[in-house]
Amino acid sequence: MLADSSIVVLALPDIYRELNTSVSGVTWVLVSFNLVMALAAVPAALIARRVGPGRAAAVGLAIFAGAGLACGLADSLSTLIAARCVQAIGGAAAVTAALELLPATVGSEQRATTVWAAAGATGAALGPALGGILTELVSWQSIFLLQVPVALAAAVPILSVAKHEAATGIVSTELRRTGRPHLWANLALAMVSAAIAAALFLLVLLLIEGWRLSPIEAALVVSAMPLAAVIGGKLADFVPDARARAAAGAILVSGGLAGLAFLPKATIVLTLPPQILVGLGLALVLSALTETALSGRAPQAIHGGWTISARHAGVVIGLLALTPIFTAEIDQQRHDAINAGTAVILDSPINPLLKLDLAERVSERLEEERGKVPTIGPAFEPLPDDPGERSEVQQLQSELQDQLDRGATHAFSTSFILAALLGLIALFPIALSKEVEL
Amino acid sequence: MSAGGRSRGFLLIAGAVVASLVLVGAYLAAGGSSYEPEKVQDPCKPRPWSNPQGLSEIANQFTVSALDGAACQLGVSREALARALATPEARERFKERYGITDAKLAKAVRAGLVRAVDDAEEAGALSPILAVPLREAVQRVPLEQAIEFINDAESFLGNVNSFLGPAQSLLEEFLP
Repeated sequence: MLADSSIVVLALPDIYRELNTSVSGVTWVLVSFNLVMALAAVPAALIARRVGPGRAAAVGLAIFAGAGLACGLADSLSTLIAARCVQAIGGAAAVTAALELLPATVGSEQRATTVWAAAGATGAALGPALGGILTELVSWQSIFLLQVPVALAAAVPILSVAKHEAATGIVSTELRRTGRPHLWANLALAMVSAAIAAALFLLVLLLIEGWRLSPIEAALVVSAMPLAAVIGGKLADFVPDARARAAAGAILVSGGLAGLAFLPKATIVLTLPPQILVGLGLALVLSALTETALSGRAPQAIHGGWTISARHAGVVIGLLALTPIFTAEIDQQRHDAINAGTAVILDSPINPLLKLDLAERVSERLEEERGKVPTIGPAFEPLPDDPGERSEVQQLQSELQDQLDRGATHAFSTSFILAALLGLIALFPIALSKEVEL
Repeated sequence: MSAGGRSRGFLLIAGAVVASLVLVGAYLAAGGSSYEPEKVQDPCKPRPWSNPQGLSEIANQFTVSALDGAACQLGVSREALARALATPEARERFKERYGITDAKLAKAVRAGLVRAVDDAEEAGALSPILAVPLREAVQRVPLEQAIEFINDAESFLGNVNSFLGPAQSLLEEFLP
């Protein structure tokens, strides 16, 4: 469930095409879920405290599964978004109640906090790769349909707790309240989450829409992030200072995002070092900030609810702030690409008749694949019979494709830089959060 | 917090800063911020011919000059006009987008052809004896014909040479 906000990312291009919507429209599949999660997390935690975490989690999982089914069967964007909202309500109930249920399973409240925080970081990192594989091998609908049995399976062991609560009427009666929500940790969590959401969303769009990778290829590429996150999780064990881990994590996320903003070439290999930094960073910062926000506070479900709320609010802010920027950049880039393509063709030494025809075919192809950088090969077919002219045309084609690929990469730069800045700004609330050693 | 814990925290932050700076520095050094889209040139600025050899190269530059001249007159880019002249459908879209009438387009295309003749003459690719009647002729051709001259400059210039070439030889013989 903690992976849910990122698992859909790689399916967005397919949803965008199949439901015939815009980039801004499809963003709401992500935004709606995160927005409702942000709004519902704390009330859901309060309800869990009142009715019992077992019952809250069981009902939450049932709602999540039912809404997942509706998402998988949705045939319009509005239905999908509505179902995502319902899914988020169920998700909020289950995730916050889980924090109350975990101590009984893992042994202690402190251990439960660590496990819960690590699950959040792993989920965020693992989601895109998982979503990409499912989208490619089955369909985007399968992402949601698969959540149904998974959620129901997770509900099975909780049912006994829920039944016990219902039969005895005993719910968590501990009413001690320690401290208000940790403002600085939650604020930093929101900022870093905005940066991470942007990293995942933008990178996936760059790979699929910009560089024309299939979802499964993109999933393989973005697997670098969860792999690095695993190492980041291990690294965290050696550093007890949560504030240092949070600061280092935020710096790594920002460094990785800045690396993505300044990619020297449109090459997959060059995305790997920045992804490794983001993966290491997110594992360090998300778990450290969540632990800081929960440390010494009770009830855990409610403070956990605040962290969920902060994280998802951050994702919403990141997506809403950056989507218009990069969609405008993509439009500008397409316009520049059409002109640049025509200019390159007009200045080439090929036959004027052929060049004017090519200029028209290339610009038509660029217009056809709006918002996407196309392979312009088909615009150059059939190649001229004359060997000299053919080689000139082939050289022109590769020159143009390089222009377009670099242009597409450049279209994402501003958004990556802004996301990197968000990560750096998070250092202020991190500095203000008190030192916590767990 | 223990001193060991504190120093490990410090090392972690320092490592994060160094790793980030190294990555960003390496990418910038490799040209990560140098991307500039191919600039569209001002069609009103002169574009010198680069010593064309043979009819095909002359035709190539003739087309570019004509497009420059027409685009300058219309206040659009050479690239936009080139795309517009490729097909009748593209031309209709162009006229609608820029609010251009047939008469205005015809005037601009003829002006473009005149500029191409001027440029060809200046580059020594067309003799003044041929340039004078050609300049007069292109100012009177219908729009469709004028577009054809730009799109298929090689045939146009080839025909000019066939028809006016003998006249030029004759004139050169009698003129002092």
